[in-house]
Amino acid sequence: MTEHKIETPKERLNRHKAMEASAVLEKIKHDYKEPPRAMEYFYDLYERVHCKHESLHSDKAKVGTMCIQVPSEIIYALDAVPLRLCNGFYTDDEIGSDFLPSKSCPLVKATVGQFVSNNFSDKPDVIISPTTCDQKAKSGAIIESMGFSVYDMEFPRTKESHESREYWRRSVRKFTKDLSENLNTKLSKKKLKESIQKIGYAQHLYHKLNILRKNTASPILGKDMFLVTNAFFFDKIDSWIDAMKKLLEECEEMVEAKVNAASKMSPRIVYTGSPPIFPNLKIPLLIELCDAIIVADETCSSNRMFNDMVSVDEWFINDMIDSIADRYLKGCTCPIFTKNDDRKRRILDLVKDYKADGVVYQAFAGCQVYEMEQRSVLEAMQKAGVPILYIESDYSPSQSGQLTTRIEAFVESLKNRKRRQQ
Amino acid sequence: MNYFAGIDIGSTAIKIAIVDENRKLVGHKISASGSMFYKYAKQALKEMLDELNIDEKNLVYRVATGYGRKLFKEADENISEITANAMGAMAAADGKCNIKTIINIGGQDSKAISLDDEGNVVNFAMNDRCAAGTGKFLDVVAMNLEIEVDELGEYHFKSQGTPLAINSTCAVFAESEIIGLLGNDHSVEDIVAGVHYSIAKRIIKLLKRVGINEGIYFDGGPALNSGLVNAIENELGKKIFIPEFPQITTSYGAAILALESYEFENKI
Repeated sequence: MTEHKIETPKERLNRHKAMEASAVLEKIKHDYKEPPRAMEYFYDLYERVHCKHESLHSDKAKVGTMCIQVPSEIIYALDAVPLRLCNGFYTDDEIGSDFLPSKSCPLVKATVGQFVSNNFSDKPDVIISPTTCDQKAKSGAIIESMGFSVYDMEFPRTKESHESREYWRRSVRKFTKDLSENLNTKLSKKKLKESIQKIGYAQHLYHKLNILRKNTASPILGKDMFLVTNAFFFDKIDSWIDAMKKLLEECEEMVEAKVNAASKMSPRIVYTGSPPIFPNLKIPLLIELCDAIIVADETCSSNRMFNDMVSVDEWFINDMIDSIADRYLKGCTCPIFTKNDDRKRRILDLVKDYKADGVVYQAFAGCQVYEMEQRSVLEAMQKAGVPILYIESDYSPSQSGQLTTRIEAFVESLKNRKRRQQ
Repeated sequence: MNYFAGIDIGSTAIKIAIVDENRKLVGHKISASGSMFYKYAKQALKEMLDELNIDEKNLVYRVATGYGRKLFKEADENISEITANAMGAMAAADGKCNIKTIINIGGQDSKAISLDDEGNVVNFAMNDRCAAGTGKFLDVVAMNLEIEVDELGEYHFKSQGTPLAINSTCAVFAESEIIGLLGNDHSVEDIVAGVHYSIAKRIIKLLKRVGINEGIYFDGGPALNSGLVNAIENELGKKIFIPEFPQITTSYGAAILALESYEFENKI
């Protein structure tokens, strides 16, 4: 038998991730109606970063963020790049499983798993861990014990009270000061204003594209929207904005030409729950393979990231920082908050605004807050007469058989309902 | 001279090994199981003896193993394939590899066996899900790709891109996954590499259940597939040992047991 060189652990891991990523890209590119041409940029970006392990930010200080709550505006203003570490790889989930209880959330396990293997296309210099859910907060300490620099950013669990607002504003001010010391960069008024405006512009583009999805003939499928928003986690912001402009332009033309990314009878779905993060786009992909279309979502890997813009009264540093803090607290509908009527309200608004036929709620097995909150969301939807499907899932790639059947049945029931209503 | 036979009746093939009084492997034979295990096994054994010019009188002890072992009525003794595999592996490695872990991929199942220093079976695990990742699975893959099973290794090493992930644990669903990949114009080479890696990953999971100890031995028909061997080595990050005739290890072990049982009974 011929002699062959054995892969190094790093080569093996990169191959595993490349195999996982390309399998999903493969599906995304080929199993659906033709996507907008401008999606090519995003497909290519994922291929470069996740299959070829290309680094995008070798020239900049990198700030890893463990949650949506870390203000990107401040990081950009300090001349650094925010990199969201929330991870969707089953490969990393399996590695992280050795460090966390078996019932933990796959996203947290995968995030920890990536630190265990210490293999990044762009390795973060400092990690910001907001104390949002217990699993993330506690895994910050595990990551620190592996020799990484982790900064705990204190985050309140309620958002209605004046106390929590003040507490969070103080956290953000302290974070700004500490990060600027850590990166040895002084925060300037000009830079902060610029970064608020730049992110505001990115949000503006996203909102414009989103509004197009309200059309009965939506130009873009949800699986592509998740790719677009997930790319905001790690792409160069200027490149992302450029790609987004092109996509928006093309989608506007498609709406003009009444091009439908789905078919005429495809039920319109609002997606909520645990965040689909590449390559774990399992549930969105299944939904749209069953001839439904995701027209809007309430997740921290997409819509929730772009919800509200920072609104500034006076362009002074402290005022800007406080406004940033408010946008990251008040606008957030994460289930870690108690109470959390905001989330139900937002889902219902989305259903109404996007003329949705039903809601799909995914909870990662082990994500307690989403699992716990499903009951009250289900009740709220039932009360409003909105059909809802609750799915518990994880990152394992082989589980799709039964899930397909459940989703198919749900989509068919929505179609029947639609037909009867017509 | 007395001779001893080990007959391994598997789902796909009947393997026969014959050893002499000095534990030397004097002959081996592989024939298809077909539909009539018993008839074919008897026939194969007779042919084997003829080829080796051994008088039937001199075949003094027969041990049957494999999942069809109970069907072979002439057997003096039966032995499970786990024990036979371990015994055969120790004999086949002949000191060239200090075997602690055995990977065996058969026609319809795969096994991981861990051994202690004396070669006793300490623990073993079998795949619990149908024919995913077994020899049968490789047959189906080759058929779908319109190539021969023997060519799989060659194609594996020609793969240029990322090996394509095959995630279905069921052979039937994997088949449709592969057809889908072909439909999307992927190269046969990348698909073959993907199949090998998906089997390798499944094997590693099985191995982890028994513990992976240095001294890894791989046998069964699929061990002849150099692409699969490469994938398993890459997944393990370790070299593995492949015997000269990987298909007959289990029957070889059964033949050794035949010799030992005979010696014990006759107090030689």
